[in-house]
Amino acid sequence: MLTFDRYVTAATLDEAFDALDASPGARLVAGATDLLPWAREGRAGDVHLPALVDVGAIPALTAVTAEDGRLRIGAATTIAACERHPLLLRDAGLLARCAVWFADDQIREQATLGGNLVNASPAGDMLPAMLAMNAQVVLARRDGAGTQERAMPLADFITGPGRTRLGANEILVRIDCDAVPGHGGAFEKVGHRRSLVISTVCLAVLARLAPAGGTLADVRIAIGAVGPVPERLGDAEAALRGQRPTPASIREAAELAADRVRSRSRQAYRREVLVNFVERGLVAALAQCGLAVQRLPKETVHA
Amino acid sequence: MPDPSGFDPAQPPTTRIATTVNGRRVARTVPLHYRVIDFVREELKLTGNKEGCGAGECGTCSMFVDGTLIKSCLAPVQKIHGKTVETVDDLDADKGMTVIQRAFHKCGASQCGYCIPGMVMAATATLRKRPEASLDEIKEGLGGNICRCTGYQKILDAVAMARDVLNGARPQADLDEAATDSFIGSRTRRLDAPAKVTGAIKYAADLWMPNMLHMQVLRSPHPHARIQRLDVGEARAMPGVECVLTCDDVPGVDNFGVFIEDQPIMARGVVRYVGEGIAAVVAETADIAREAVKRIRVTYDILPGVFDPVEAMTESAPQLHGFAPGNLCKHTRIRKGDVDAGLRAADLVVQETYRTSALEHAYLEPEAGLAYLEPDGCVTVMSPSQNITHHRHMLARILGRPINKVRMIMSTVGGGFGGKEDMLYQGMLALAAIRTRRPVRYVFTREESIAASAKRHPFSIDYTMGLTRGGLIVATRMVMVSDGGAYAMSTPGVMNKSAILGPGPYAIPNVWVDAIGVYTNNTPSGAFRAFGAFQSEFATESHLDLCAERLGMDPAQLRRLNLMQDGATTHTRQQLDRVAATACLDAALAAARWDPGVPHREAHGEPARVDLGGPGTRAPCTLGLGTMATDKETT
Repeated sequence: MLTFDRYVTAATLDEAFDALDASPGARLVAGATDLLPWAREGRAGDVHLPALVDVGAIPALTAVTAEDGRLRIGAATTIAACERHPLLLRDAGLLARCAVWFADDQIREQATLGGNLVNASPAGDMLPAMLAMNAQVVLARRDGAGTQERAMPLADFITGPGRTRLGANEILVRIDCDAVPGHGGAFEKVGHRRSLVISTVCLAVLARLAPAGGTLADVRIAIGAVGPVPERLGDAEAALRGQRPTPASIREAAELAADRVRSRSRQAYRREVLVNFVERGLVAALAQCGLAVQRLPKETVHA
Repeated sequence: MPDPSGFDPAQPPTTRIATTVNGRRVARTVPLHYRVIDFVREELKLTGNKEGCGAGECGTCSMFVDGTLIKSCLAPVQKIHGKTVETVDDLDADKGMTVIQRAFHKCGASQCGYCIPGMVMAATATLRKRPEASLDEIKEGLGGNICRCTGYQKILDAVAMARDVLNGARPQADLDEAATDSFIGSRTRRLDAPAKVTGAIKYAADLWMPNMLHMQVLRSPHPHARIQRLDVGEARAMPGVECVLTCDDVPGVDNFGVFIEDQPIMARGVVRYVGEGIAAVVAETADIAREAVKRIRVTYDILPGVFDPVEAMTESAPQLHGFAPGNLCKHTRIRKGDVDAGLRAADLVVQETYRTSALEHAYLEPEAGLAYLEPDGCVTVMSPSQNITHHRHMLARILGRPINKVRMIMSTVGGGFGGKEDMLYQGMLALAAIRTRRPVRYVFTREESIAASAKRHPFSIDYTMGLTRGGLIVATRMVMVSDGGAYAMSTPGVMNKSAILGPGPYAIPNVWVDAIGVYTNNTPSGAFRAFGAFQSEFATESHLDLCAERLGMDPAQLRRLNLMQDGATTHTRQQLDRVAATACLDAALAAARWDPGVPHREAHGEPARVDLGGPGTRAPCTLGLGTMATDKETT
């Protein structure tokens, strides 16, 4: 059970900082969908906190804007907003592809993008998608001179399972990422069932073809749930970039992913799924770009 | 780490919440740590929506906040301040059932009913968002809600029917009960369905009485330990604590069980599994009782445990109960004909070992109960017990009172599947009501339910079968060892049933079955759908597939050859006049469009089977919604 001495619903960032200053050890909360299950038997057990500071209703944290080819997404933007916000649908379709696999449609209404990032679960579904979009997290803190912001790439922000570089009394306020209106995107996920499942393997792909010639102008592949932190597949991306994608080159690039599996369990299964996901994800993303590439045939299985 | 001691449950910090619930404005002062589900259920006593897991997994608590469906167990109560909440309790706005509720009633979509309030809410949300929702979209919309009884088909039928009626594609009259001369073969509506689809029916956790107390239980963290010292002084002294009960408070014969009386209602000197109840605290609020449980001091003398049933039967293994040497709980034997001679005469002998795992029932309703004293001194326990008459007899002896002073009322069972046949907490509740002379309620958390309740027996089955070249079974030997856990519960019955039904509906001249249930320091095993037959028949049917492979024979044909026919005698000498097994198999094969042939036919150079996939085969995960629609053409 989670208990606390104060619950502050902050209307502004300043109110949130006031509350953090007033209650050392306070915890930030937005959607709360992982916080309440966390304080139960089997995880953290009974937890008492000085305060919960709810930043979910701060208007600045739910705003979504576009500027110079970059999207600025408020950290308290819900996962459900990824499925219906016009700007996100236009410039970040990959997030919607990921969102439909995220928990269930009730939790998506509460859970936030920022919450998923600061949780830094190795299996956080939004993480590969945000990595593929070259996300930078914007962290705010308040000192004598007012509110200071610093930004860092998402890949640097997450340092391990559940660990980030978020400082004490610092708030993740925004995620800046590429607008990718012309990219094809794909998100793949497998778990024990369709909804409400922690990913066993997840993957995000973005691909864009050069205007003429059919070569891959840009390709980004990010994976999650197979190691301590989600990561980009730089080698596979480099092998494909600038090339004309063929069934064989896609299979070859996909096979590079096999040695990325560093999970504690089910490694052989994850390797097989991951390689197939990379291949299928690339084919699907290219299809979004209007290029049909056949997958190489699979080994036949006798039934 | 955060300090868990900063919370005083006797004087919890509070907050004022003003909100509109089901069209009525309410303002209440409630504990600061309340979740939305607590506000609705405990404060407003709107019990239509349930708490099935407390972790957002099951969806029984789904309700609308400002028109958006959320899991109310995942939302701090502050999230509804100044907002509008809709629960299932008044979904029909006092106008009778909604179309969706009527469709659930019509389609038989409510079985135990515990998931149904959440299902109705999720169906309502789905059709509000997408009045033309496809079946895939409906499935997606219900994805956050779990049902353990129905297999979902009737629920999906109901939502599709409601969609069509709401869209005018089907007449309203389709929601009425079909006129019929016979109940057989027609869809008959359940009498309790209206109360279940509207959330009106009360389960034990929904019950509330004036002056009611709340119980919490201290459970063992050790699988096997002697309780050296049990100090409840500090817990008893806490403000708000009414009483603390231990085995010393049991007035009668503290030894019960369905088949073997081997269990005290709270641990008596020894704990034998992780989760065994040791002491019960009864207090003004559940939070006070929880805190008091933490203040009970127990000194354990840790004993070696045994967790494998085969190991438990060895001489050197720790002994769980004095009366059961070798930890043997039950050994059921079937001997028919001469199995050794049969195996010697067989053309083919196939051996294999099969293992099944322990399984949790995971009924959507965690255990709960309410006990109180009648004015005439009769103690009454309301709980979703699946065996109230037996529980009543056991309880009378435990409480040391005549049977007419013990009353058991079976509250609506939110799923049992056998898991609520064994008495787990009713004794503590009765004792608490007698001691305090006040009503006492006890509601398990999901975690507690899983830790404390019985599981399906795990089996290890050594199988030997002898067959003729033509496929006739001439001898079967099954040696089954099963983990019964720390107490017998239903183990003897489960061993019997697994042995009786294990060899299957096949005519076999020579049969040898051993079904051995063993005590270990694992969670007790108990009743679970099919009561042992599931495990042994899993082995038999798997084994027949293996034999068909070895014989190069169609697996269905192998079964047809051996099925008992009219007039057969079972392995336990029961005379059967009619046996419908062959007709049943043929109907199943026809429904499955079975393509006869040997297993692995491609490997034998034969054409591939043609019955895989095809119409009626369920596709893997589908993505029905919105932005994904365009993908269907491209992948």
